[in-house]
Amino acid sequence: MKQYTITVNGTAYDVCVEEAGSVASAPKAAPAPAPAAAAPVAAGAATVTAPMPGKVLSVNVKAGDAVKAGDVLLILEAMKMQNEIMAPQDGTIAEVRVSANQNVATGDVMIVM
Amino acid sequence: MSTQERIEKMLKKAEVIIAAGGEKRIAKQHEQGKMTARERIAALLDEGSFVELDRFVKHRCYNFGQDKKDCPGEGVTTGYGTVDGRLVYVFAQDFTVEGGSLGEMHANKIVKVQRLALKMGAPCIGMNDSGGARIQEATDALGGYGKIFFENTGASGVIPQISAIMGPSAGGAVYSPALTDFIYMVKNTSQMFITGPEVVKTVTGEVVTKEALGGAMTHNSKSGVAHFAAENDEDCIQQIRYLLSFLPSNNMEPAPVVETGDDPMRTDESLNTLLPDNSNAPYDMYDVIKSIVDNGEFYESQKFYAQNIITCFARMDGSTVGIIANQPKVMAGCLDINASDKAARFIRFCDAFNIPLLNLVDVPGFLPGTYQEYGGIIRHGAKMLYAYSEATVPKVTLVTRKAYGGSYLAMCSQELGADQVIAWPTAEIAVMGPAGAANIIFKKDPDKDARTQEYIDNFASPYYAAQHQMVDLIIEPKNSRPAVCNALAMLESKREVRPAKRHGNIPL
Repeated sequence: MKQYTITVNGTAYDVCVEEAGSVASAPKAAPAPAPAAAAPVAAGAATVTAPMPGKVLSVNVKAGDAVKAGDVLLILEAMKMQNEIMAPQDGTIAEVRVSANQNVATGDVMIVM
Repeated sequence: MSTQERIEKMLKKAEVIIAAGGEKRIAKQHEQGKMTARERIAALLDEGSFVELDRFVKHRCYNFGQDKKDCPGEGVTTGYGTVDGRLVYVFAQDFTVEGGSLGEMHANKIVKVQRLALKMGAPCIGMNDSGGARIQEATDALGGYGKIFFENTGASGVIPQISAIMGPSAGGAVYSPALTDFIYMVKNTSQMFITGPEVVKTVTGEVVTKEALGGAMTHNSKSGVAHFAAENDEDCIQQIRYLLSFLPSNNMEPAPVVETGDDPMRTDESLNTLLPDNSNAPYDMYDVIKSIVDNGEFYESQKFYAQNIITCFARMDGSTVGIIANQPKVMAGCLDINASDKAARFIRFCDAFNIPLLNLVDVPGFLPGTYQEYGGIIRHGAKMLYAYSEATVPKVTLVTRKAYGGSYLAMCSQELGADQVIAWPTAEIAVMGPAGAANIIFKKDPDKDARTQEYIDNFASPYYAAQHQMVDLIIEPKNSRPAVCNALAMLESKREVRPAKRHGNIPL
């Protein structure tokens, strides 16, 4: 049995995969769960990634907050600018992966919606 | 055969060709929300101005029983007409005839209007809706694409060439549009890709839809291949007419001058309070553009791509200008690979077609990082330096705030040939970010913090540059429109001669 973390549309799933025929007594009744069945992806899930390397100055939202497209989610200080990082769409914040004073690199996922 | 019979024969032949792929296929085209080739041409041109050429052209392919096949109009309608009274050439591929597939004679029809457009100095507009090459015609079809590419390139910089993608455009077909000045794509009904989803899946295993791979928004926001997105055919065609209103017909003409009714001396108090006191806080550069151009009206190219830089056409006192502006609201307005490519191409278009450049500068620098360096930010950034230096049209640079280091040069400083550099009192024209500079100069100074502040006060301003003749005017922000209009009027007679050469070697 091998464990993988698979990310689908920005949502991570823990997936167990068993090699077929490796153990004769492996019960047939326990197939590897399909990722989609583990936890359905919320319709229109989105991630907010860092557009450039910088430091998070402040985070304006927390998990569970409802936001509208264009709302400022956090301020990322980069390139001598307090960049307003905005919600790409209406939705609810699923997860905030950064906190104030944290450094991020381009492409780092900062918020999952 | 009597004369009357001869006339009737001609009319009958024409009828068959105008009927194109027949009612069924035309209905299908309409079902998909698409207009037919003839409907598109009629919508684009002034009413009744279209003159169709080569209506009776026929292919001469005998392979695979093709000689028994009739392809009305060879799957493309070509000719000329007017837009707002000005001559344009046009071709529209007809998806109802053999899927708009391109064979030898289809290509020859396109090539003919391309050559006429070049000879007459009139824009050439292509409306693409084609399944690709007509395979039965083998290398004759392939050669057809080649001929079109060659004409595209020959006409580049002489006449404006505009491509509208209004259906599929795959494989070789994508490269004619890519060689033209502007690409329009219609949302949901148009796709461009070198290889379609099936081939992608076979070769790389990636599963992707047609729309995600090469749809309108993919190419408008991700790849930068397209310049404009349209909601539907009608919107696309109206946008093309609007774009043409800003452009001259060829490289020897000035752009049309329009009576806009907006006073060139109009001032705007709101600009005096637009900038936040904290120079590290963002503001919206669109507010500056709207304030200074005629009636706040502008038309943006590549609106969804590299949004850290804005490229748009607008009018100042009735004359077209091309605006290149940093957008502090997006990625701090820094220059990166995509922004450099976007701006450099726009600058070169404007220079080729006598459109003066207005540069609105608030740039903190080039974006650092391995991704940028490995991607070749050096050669991409160099395109901006090259494009600005090479441009001989009037160049006016307005510095609103940050103008740091090499990125300021890349936004057309005086040394890159700006004819007039105007600065707001908030301008920070400096060799690099002031905090970083002070850090180097006062590295070992015990009183570093105080010295740094002193440095910022003295050097993060327009005055050092002004003392050394690098800034012509320092103005109150509210006077921006009068200052720019005045500079452009003064520069109308600008003539700058460069050494003759075969052509330069822009870093690509």
